[in-house]
Amino acid sequence: MTDPGRILFQLENVFQRFSLPQGDVTVLKNVNFQAREGEFIAIVGPSGAGKSTILRLINGLLPPSEGKIIYKDQPLIGTNMDAAMVFQSFGLLPWLTVAENVELGLEPRGLDRAARRKRGAFYIEKVGLEGYEEAYPRELSGGMKQRVGLARALAVEPEILLMDEPFSSLDALTSINLRDELIDIWSDRDFPVNTVVMVTHIIEEAIELADRVLVLSSRPGTIAGDLQIDLPRPRDKRDKAFIEYVDKIFSLIA
Amino acid sequence: MKAARGQLPLANGTRRSSAKSIQDSKDSKDIKKSMDKPGGIGSGDGKSSEQIQLPQIGISEILGLVELLKSKGGREDIYKLAAELKMEFGETLAVIRAAELLGLVNTPGGDVLVEPTGEKITRSKISDRKLIVKEQLQKLSLFRKLSEFLNEKDDHRATRDEVLEKLAELVPNENAEQTFSSLVNWGRYAELYGYNDDSQTFYLDLEENN
Repeated sequence: MTDPGRILFQLENVFQRFSLPQGDVTVLKNVNFQAREGEFIAIVGPSGAGKSTILRLINGLLPPSEGKIIYKDQPLIGTNMDAAMVFQSFGLLPWLTVAENVELGLEPRGLDRAARRKRGAFYIEKVGLEGYEEAYPRELSGGMKQRVGLARALAVEPEILLMDEPFSSLDALTSINLRDELIDIWSDRDFPVNTVVMVTHIIEEAIELADRVLVLSSRPGTIAGDLQIDLPRPRDKRDKAFIEYVDKIFSLIA
Repeated sequence: MKAARGQLPLANGTRRSSAKSIQDSKDSKDIKKSMDKPGGIGSGDGKSSEQIQLPQIGISEILGLVELLKSKGGREDIYKLAAELKMEFGETLAVIRAAELLGLVNTPGGDVLVEPTGEKITRSKISDRKLIVKEQLQKLSLFRKLSEFLNEKDDHRATRDEVLEKLAELVPNENAEQTFSSLVNWGRYAELYGYNDDSQTFYLDLEENN
């Protein structure tokens, strides 16, 4: 994205500790960053670096042990209703159809039945799921399940879209297709979200999609690098500049 | 390989890991050879309905394959492709067969090559991709015969059992349940067929595409 927007949210001196029988574990240590409106941020780091914890903090599902999450200039308290999440394991309810799963988040946001139908249908079409409305999750391939997860998140028209390893349960080819179609959906004028935070452990995935990559080192998680990715889309992995970014991020982690 | 490199040290890789089978090449070579035989893969010309079998492959995988090939300049050796994807050779081949059935790729020699329709699909928006897949499916005799069958029915509907019976007649050597499930998945994507699992009803999707 071109113009740097205003600051949408920021993490200020955030520490996260969990109590385990063996003692306390510090998962995040003094994490600070700001996210501007319109940015696509990828957070990369090894498993256990606390990447998903950051998403839960932004979503307000978890209060920080120390420090603050500021959202639109106010400390975030409780669930952030302006955020929606896409999960690695899809998070679909098996007894609901595709349409019902997509409409799931709309009732708590005060939409009546007719409005839910209309909104759901719009995003079902956006992600290419028209024709699957009455299907149950068990009838779908992984790629189609994740499209449902994406449509459900988009349907709430969130200010922030959070994605937790959205492609890592998918086979290699399906994830190529979904990344490609995500870029397509994202560049659409109709895309309701302009700020995206995606967590991944695959460096190339981060560089392919994001404007900015935050590199998280492991145990406890601290920000080891913050890079702007200045490459036009679609991005070519064989491109020299792309490879240089891979090397740079790899060296920040290793 | 770059892909392996991009994977972080502690990552619990979910990629399928058996480059092994690629070296176990006796089997694979036989498969490869059989691909070169004319008519080995359903060509979609509708002449030989008994040849047409639907691979158990999802549309997303097929599109992913075409996108990957395009990023490699439109052509790649099948063995190299399987190795890079860390996929079983047979599995890779099944995806290629599915893409070939849809007229998106071709397999000259040991290579897989993107066809103009495949090239077009990678440049198309999501909604147009569905239309292209619909056009391609309508060229296949199995889909044509099934549509005829549904057209003769009241409301263009049939029960799951009736469709299974029809499939047993049209593709006698295939597992009808598996063919049915592919039919439902591809048919839904292309908005050609619909299926309701609660009522076990399979039907022609007559809603207008916009």
